[in-house]
Amino acid sequence: MKRYLTLTRAGVLEALQFRLSMLIMVAGNLLYLIVVYFLWKSIYASAGTEIVNGMTFTDTLIYLVLATALFNFMEMYTVWEIGRNIQTGKIVLDLLKPMDYRRYLFWSFSGSFVTQFFFTFLPTFIVVCAVTKGAIPMGINMLYFAVSVVMAVMINYSVDFIVGTICLYTESIWGVNIMKQVVVLLLSGATVPIAFFPEPLKTVVYYLPFQSIYNAPLTLLLNSGQVLETLGIQLFWCAFMTIISRLFWRVSLRQITVNGG
Amino acid sequence: MSKIIEIQNVSKEFKVLNRREGLKGSIMDLFSRNYKIVRAVDNISMDINQGEIVGYLGPNGAGKSTTIKMMTGVLEPTSGGILVNGNEPYRNRTKNAQEIGVVFGQRSQLWWSLPLIESFKLLKDIYRVGDAEYNGMMEMYRELVDIEGLLHKPVRQMSLGQRTLSDILAAFLHDPKIVFLDEPTIGLDVSMKAKIRELIHALNKEKNTTVILTTHDMGDVDALCRRIVIIDKGKMLYDNDIEHLKSFFGSYRTLKIRVDGENSIENVRAELPDFMVSEQDEWVSVLVDEEKTTVMDVLNRLIKTLDVRDMRLEEISTEDVIKKIYEEGAA
Repeated sequence: MKRYLTLTRAGVLEALQFRLSMLIMVAGNLLYLIVVYFLWKSIYASAGTEIVNGMTFTDTLIYLVLATALFNFMEMYTVWEIGRNIQTGKIVLDLLKPMDYRRYLFWSFSGSFVTQFFFTFLPTFIVVCAVTKGAIPMGINMLYFAVSVVMAVMINYSVDFIVGTICLYTESIWGVNIMKQVVVLLLSGATVPIAFFPEPLKTVVYYLPFQSIYNAPLTLLLNSGQVLETLGIQLFWCAFMTIISRLFWRVSLRQITVNGG
Repeated sequence: MSKIIEIQNVSKEFKVLNRREGLKGSIMDLFSRNYKIVRAVDNISMDINQGEIVGYLGPNGAGKSTTIKMMTGVLEPTSGGILVNGNEPYRNRTKNAQEIGVVFGQRSQLWWSLPLIESFKLLKDIYRVGDAEYNGMMEMYRELVDIEGLLHKPVRQMSLGQRTLSDILAAFLHDPKIVFLDEPTIGLDVSMKAKIRELIHALNKEKNTTVILTTHDMGDVDALCRRIVIIDKGKMLYDNDIEHLKSFFGSYRTLKIRVDGENSIENVRAELPDFMVSEQDEWVSVLVDEEKTTVMDVLNRLIKTLDVRDMRLEEISTEDVIKKIYEEGAA
């Protein structure tokens, strides 16, 4: 375990080297939240009713703000990093570490969980709590939320790792990465709450792994979901996606070792 | 002496798409299944003993890196077998990784934005190096190089020389049995090159680490290697002692002349069509095989038609021999 935590520590150290970048990140996050606020304010204004799709303006805002915070927390730019390592050939050096590559990479990025938690998630969470004056329930739901986030992180990493592996074949990163971001953010309910989706799409989304990344932890936090069912589905996706991403990587790695990188 | 690397009849083939020219060709390539097989390494065999420093030479694109990647386990040979420290590297890459160290001159495995000491600590944990071993290693590093000034410097602020030095130290940190150095002195100035060579030499001696060194710098080879292996176009051209190489080509000498007038090299070439002629700083060098003809004879021929102003005679250097082998190999 020590060899993994040492990678986390290095990640934190690395992030702290760039003070300005941290500041810009916090500011950029704030700016995005302001945009979200005005966008949804006008949506609600034009709808003419207090409640749209079973959610009040406050509900929606809390949901989206926390989704953004969660996004910042979970986004590790894995795809980007794998792609760049492939293009520059640095992947060879990583492959020559006496560690499973998938795990090595995860722990190399894990430092960002720590920094992001303190620099974006926690501040946002506190602000939301303060502004809405207790709209977020504080109880056992916090525990469910924590468990759910851990699984969400694992599912998210598996998705990223699969997409990163695709870069081995495409040898380009940008398009693949953007595509993944759009799909994940939309279908996971991070940009628009799933409650706003049309019925057929809701059904489709229900059977996809993405809603387990953002929608699941958020509904648990806001006390509006079936705890066991949500966690169960997440657990299933967690195991399934881990296995798939491992298999895909193993097959692809054989491809590189046979055909050269 | 025990064998640490055994390579037997190893070949490596790559499938490469035949690319066509122009826009139309590029679009057609999208649907093409027209592959050709490229043989990057062709039936190579060699054994390397524990503690040797082997110079692995060859022109660009000869298949050196491919061989090294197969030895490290990143590539799998198409045919033949490799045993590194008793393991098949491509089957047990992670296990093999524990026993080897790698330095690619162009890339760094160090953590870019962190001080060097942090990279060392990370590698210590990743390779599960014990505290005593780690401290011993650091102690040795302190004796070998002036490392204090580097330890607290972020890697990205280092000069290329300092970074290469650090990368080499990092590769030896977990006391691997074998270290692969891929062009470690590339782009370095003379004094830094000397420093790096001394360091490699010292580390090899202290720990009896086997070193596989690829380089284009004959200075590296002369300073470090007793044995050299030369490959070109995937085929092994030479595998023996460096002295043997020189005595093998011992009958060669280099005649250097300075000629008045323009196009001196073309004129010399015209006069001596069967000889290897090159030019450097106004000096035209001619490689003379004394078994076939004497230096005096060559000089006489040149004096007849050319205005030779000055001359010098040089015994053959390893570099020339290698150059000759490359060029004959390519012919």
